[in-house]
Amino acid sequence: MADTVKISGTSVRLVKGDITDLPVESFVFYAREDLKLGSGFGTAITVRGGQAIQQELDTLAPARMTEVVVSGAGELKARWIIHAVGPKFQEPELEEKLRQTIFNVLHTAEKKGITSVALPPMGAGFYGVPLEISVAVTLDTIADYLRNKSNIKEIILCANDNREYKPFFERLAALGQPERRNR
Amino acid sequence: MSTTVRSHKAQKVIERLGKKLNRQMVGSLAACVHCGNCIDSCHYVLANPGDVTFAPPYKADKIRGLFKRHYDWTGRVLPWWVKAKSVYTDQDLEELKDIVFGKCTNCRRCTINCPMGVDMAVFNRMARGLLVSVGIMPEGVAVVSKDQWEIGNQMGVLKEDYIDTLEWLSDDLEAEHGARYRIPIDKKNADIVYSINPREVKYDPRTISDAALIFGTAGADWTMPSEGWDMTNFGLFSGDDDLGGAVSRRLYEKVEELKGKKLVISECGHGYRSTRCEGPNWAKMDVKFDMESSVITMINFINEGKIKVDKSRNPEPITFHDSCNYGRSCGMTEEPRELLQMVCSDFREMYPNRAENYCCTGGGGAMSMSEYTPRRLKSAKIKADQLRATGAKHVVTTCHNCVDGLTDLIKHYKLDMKVTQLVNLVANALVIEKPAEVPEVIVVAPIAAEAVAAAAVPAFATDGFLTGKRILVADDEPDFVTFVTAVLEDHGATVIPAHNGDQAMELARTEKPDMMTLDITMPGKSGVEVFELLRSDKDLQRIPICIITGKPELRKLIYERTVTRPEGYVDKPVDEEGLLLNVRKILKAKLEKRA
Repeated sequence: MADTVKISGTSVRLVKGDITDLPVESFVFYAREDLKLGSGFGTAITVRGGQAIQQELDTLAPARMTEVVVSGAGELKARWIIHAVGPKFQEPELEEKLRQTIFNVLHTAEKKGITSVALPPMGAGFYGVPLEISVAVTLDTIADYLRNKSNIKEIILCANDNREYKPFFERLAALGQPERRNR
Repeated sequence: MSTTVRSHKAQKVIERLGKKLNRQMVGSLAACVHCGNCIDSCHYVLANPGDVTFAPPYKADKIRGLFKRHYDWTGRVLPWWVKAKSVYTDQDLEELKDIVFGKCTNCRRCTINCPMGVDMAVFNRMARGLLVSVGIMPEGVAVVSKDQWEIGNQMGVLKEDYIDTLEWLSDDLEAEHGARYRIPIDKKNADIVYSINPREVKYDPRTISDAALIFGTAGADWTMPSEGWDMTNFGLFSGDDDLGGAVSRRLYEKVEELKGKKLVISECGHGYRSTRCEGPNWAKMDVKFDMESSVITMINFINEGKIKVDKSRNPEPITFHDSCNYGRSCGMTEEPRELLQMVCSDFREMYPNRAENYCCTGGGGAMSMSEYTPRRLKSAKIKADQLRATGAKHVVTTCHNCVDGLTDLIKHYKLDMKVTQLVNLVANALVIEKPAEVPEVIVVAPIAAEAVAAAAVPAFATDGFLTGKRILVADDEPDFVTFVTAVLEDHGATVIPAHNGDQAMELARTEKPDMMTLDITMPGKSGVEVFELLRSDKDLQRIPICIITGKPELRKLIYERTVTRPEGYVDKPVDEEGLLLNVRKILKAKLEKRA
């Protein structure tokens, strides 16, 4: 078992922490259609990143279901925030919409030349997507995407706590080859 | 032949209802005989005589009808007989939302007056959870739930702000009482792991420093966790068992990681119930360590001779409000009274009391649902009458929600009363026999020296710690401006008064103050407009702002913000100590940010 695997040359790494505080090139924010940052991770982005992020989003809003918008990350440690409008609260065709949203995240990142993307458990938690579905769809979509030649070098899966970390960890091993690392 | 069209959300609610039914739930849904014994138990009914929609049986039947229609054979065979009724549209769900969130605080007073043992709060909470699962909930509930899911606490306090608050409280305690009073963070193998409500960090840090003073004097081996420290749980209010489990698990796992021997829960009604009673079931965890209320901890400290208290230091008439979750639901009615008798000299009971006490009307998450504020305050009349009859000057409660609910109704009904908690009374009565240690003063650089000097000054000493600071005070109440000006100028500040929103904006722009206090309701531009304009202005957005308001329901200013939150928030009435604590915290944070 490992917290990092390689899929077609891309490193897929599992970490635990606050995704908005990661020193990464980009991270995903599970967004609303009006692109208002709101509370939760939105609070952290606003407080740590400053007003410029919401101001930029206001010029890009609204976004439709499964659409993805990229903004700057203000004073955060990351460079870009990928705002993904995913399905919420038991809505119809939830899994398919979630799959399409994650695909659009990776596709949009790649088009913009982003090579490192951090994702939370997409839709799990407040938006009610069952954690096991979120984990399965996220990892399956990432694996499918990476197997078709990609320039993305690293994908980071960021769990908020042990409850989220565990199912990712258990499913990650089945995805690809454990990465050899010097410890 | 007609076909029934049901919205997707309504269908999902019905499907999920079936998964929520257990023996306790079905018992409560099936047992009501409509005797009416519960009706006069409800504070909403007492404040709205003649409005049947507030009566517990009416509210319960809205949920019961759904159960009967879909999951009980009587409703399938004789629907008209048993009043079985389904939901079909999103509007039906919105109407249900108004009842389960807006007309019941889950206080359970009707429950103890039910001869059939129907627990209204159990299925009202379940119905809230069904609605939340399809995204139908008051905006405030959504905001708070998302904060707790994603940030880890229900007020969105970031880790760095939490740690920073504990550090400056430690600095104050060390300066006044010595190094052993510092707050230990993430200490392993401690006897006590102390968990708190994020409200204490955000609005009432004195409760944390008072607890630290008590732990320090008792010589307790204690610590506070750097993460997983929130013992409140909005899952209890929203009905979201997954949130309940996630929040409880974070706290339990942190205590296990620290190898703490006992988890002590600060004074919070729903936090105590969630963490001590409901949490292990939600989290599906076998909790190995002990858990107790800080009230018990303080009683033990006194009984074991670890701390000494002098009750004559709390001479004013004091009454006690039993929190619904702490008292009625967890049976903690005698312990607070035992402690009160130890630390105050004029305790007066409120009637009715203990399990029969009335809700503060802010329970069940009501304080976060601003759309129901007028209804809540109207229903608070029964509580206001109870308080007034005691003749007390202070009302003590073991619940942070009750602190806010009571503060709001005291203001609304113009009662001459203040709300406090046991930790404050115990700290005030504390006899510290050892002479204070002399703090070590370290001067390393001009800015750091300023920070050290600020840290070494007790919040309410009159020695000019605000010297050179220019503070804009925006409030339309002349008496309040006079009071704040006197307090701040006594400590060396120069106060720039503004009496309306337009003047506040103009003075902020021309004077560029070091910080400002801002009332929310003012003539001209409201405080909300001023706040958003300041935050959106590149030249002014870094002025630290402390909101001071007599209308706690307007906290939606914070919850519905799209701009950076205010640096401080204080409810009126404001006392000198509370004002200075907040001003100093804000200026110190600004100083450290600049450094």
